[in-house]
Amino acid sequence: MALSGFEGFEKRLELHFSGDDPVIGIGLRQLNFESLEEVLDAVQCTVVSAVGNRYFDAYVLSESSLFVYPTKIIIKTCGTTQLLKSIPPLLGHASDMGLGLCACRYTRGSFIFPNAQPFPHTSFTDEVMCIEESLPSNLRYRKACVMPSKMSSHSWHVFSASDEHHILVQHMPDVFTIEVCMTELDRLLARKFFRHPGDANSGDVAGKEMTELTGIRNINPRALICDFGFDPCGYSMNGIDGVHYSTIHVTPEDGYSYASFEYGGSISDNHDDIGEMLKKVVQVFRPAKLSVSTTSGKQDMCTYIAKALEPLGLKCRSSAKDEFPAAGNVVFQTFTSRRK
Amino acid sequence: MASFGGWRRQASYPSSVVHGVSSTTNASASSRIIAIHSAARWRAHFDASKLSTQLMVIDFTATWCKPCRLMEPAIEEMAAKFTDVGFVKIDVDELMEVARAFEVQAMPSFLLIKQGKVVDKVVGTKKDELQRKIEKHKI
Repeated sequence: MALSGFEGFEKRLELHFSGDDPVIGIGLRQLNFESLEEVLDAVQCTVVSAVGNRYFDAYVLSESSLFVYPTKIIIKTCGTTQLLKSIPPLLGHASDMGLGLCACRYTRGSFIFPNAQPFPHTSFTDEVMCIEESLPSNLRYRKACVMPSKMSSHSWHVFSASDEHHILVQHMPDVFTIEVCMTELDRLLARKFFRHPGDANSGDVAGKEMTELTGIRNINPRALICDFGFDPCGYSMNGIDGVHYSTIHVTPEDGYSYASFEYGGSISDNHDDIGEMLKKVVQVFRPAKLSVSTTSGKQDMCTYIAKALEPLGLKCRSSAKDEFPAAGNVVFQTFTSRRK
Repeated sequence: MASFGGWRRQASYPSSVVHGVSSTTNASASSRIIAIHSAARWRAHFDASKLSTQLMVIDFTATWCKPCRLMEPAIEEMAAKFTDVGFVKIDVDELMEVARAFEVQAMPSFLLIKQGKVVDKVVGTKKDELQRKIEKHKI
């Protein structure tokens, strides 16, 4: 393990809004680019590319991704970004549109280089304190929890807050989220995320090559992909497919290699399709260690996930479940590869 | 020792995508981009394009789609630079049937058309990929 390096593990923030006006229309998607830039400046990242469909806008950022729905924003950033600084400006802009925060969720794994993180990301306690300071008082129901595993390198931190109208997951739309964190990637496969020396191509052309060469293109052949290959290495992509989004971020350097895969689905999704999707993801990276967090999915999703990954040599080492305001059930499973 | 942290990846940004947004170009006076608002006008324009070998780029946008705004300066720049290529702008709400006919699912979508046939497509604010494809297909 290297002494220091780029932090792949992301911090993820999901904010839900509601308003008095029964017709919200495009809601937060109205946010003009200057306002978004202001938010991202606070976080210290910028937009690399963007695309939108009738349901949401997806932005690839210098440090991960941003998804903007009419009443929901998801920001996921890696490195040493100050993600929580996005909360006050976002609440301000939303308020200008007549939208108020009704639920919030913050999740992250365990940092590979925890000492390199700036305050408040130096500890989960400090992060929770910082988030709470930014939240309006109507978000009365709050819970913070560290979900353990037998691997100290993979644990799962969750903070969730809700107002009285959204505390039960039934009040939230029937969506679920799968967040996969992979470490100790196969070295040969990780090399595909390095730019060739002297390659004069732009990042989006390089990104497209990486998407094809690594098999990421086949994970969901229907999805429209915005991808980017960073210099000298690194990769990010957002995939959009109707209401579904997926996002992949790769830090390929040996010693601290990391890749994440996140999928936003609906509870009517077919289990087998999800299993097949996860299998393809694992085949792109062949990590030695992997953790999966599923939020507000169907009760038996963890069984399907374990069943899908076992034939690939990934043994489930731990499984933890907990319930959170607005988020519903969060299940956290860790896996290790039998090859090591 | 490389510096680690939030700005590590700064060098690779397509900077014009980000910085160009705040300066508004006077689109109507000097723009080569033809905005088409009616199905009849589109049909006429499309039929006329089949008679020449000139490459045509259609920019499908929506008024409510913020990512489309990001790409505006870049597409104006390309229209000014590639004077041997035709540039057309279509709003997907105004001309829904045209958007559907070209299977536009997300915006911005750029369709490259030659003699009535789609030769390539770029979806999203991918300035460099679009430029490469225009250069490839215009000959």
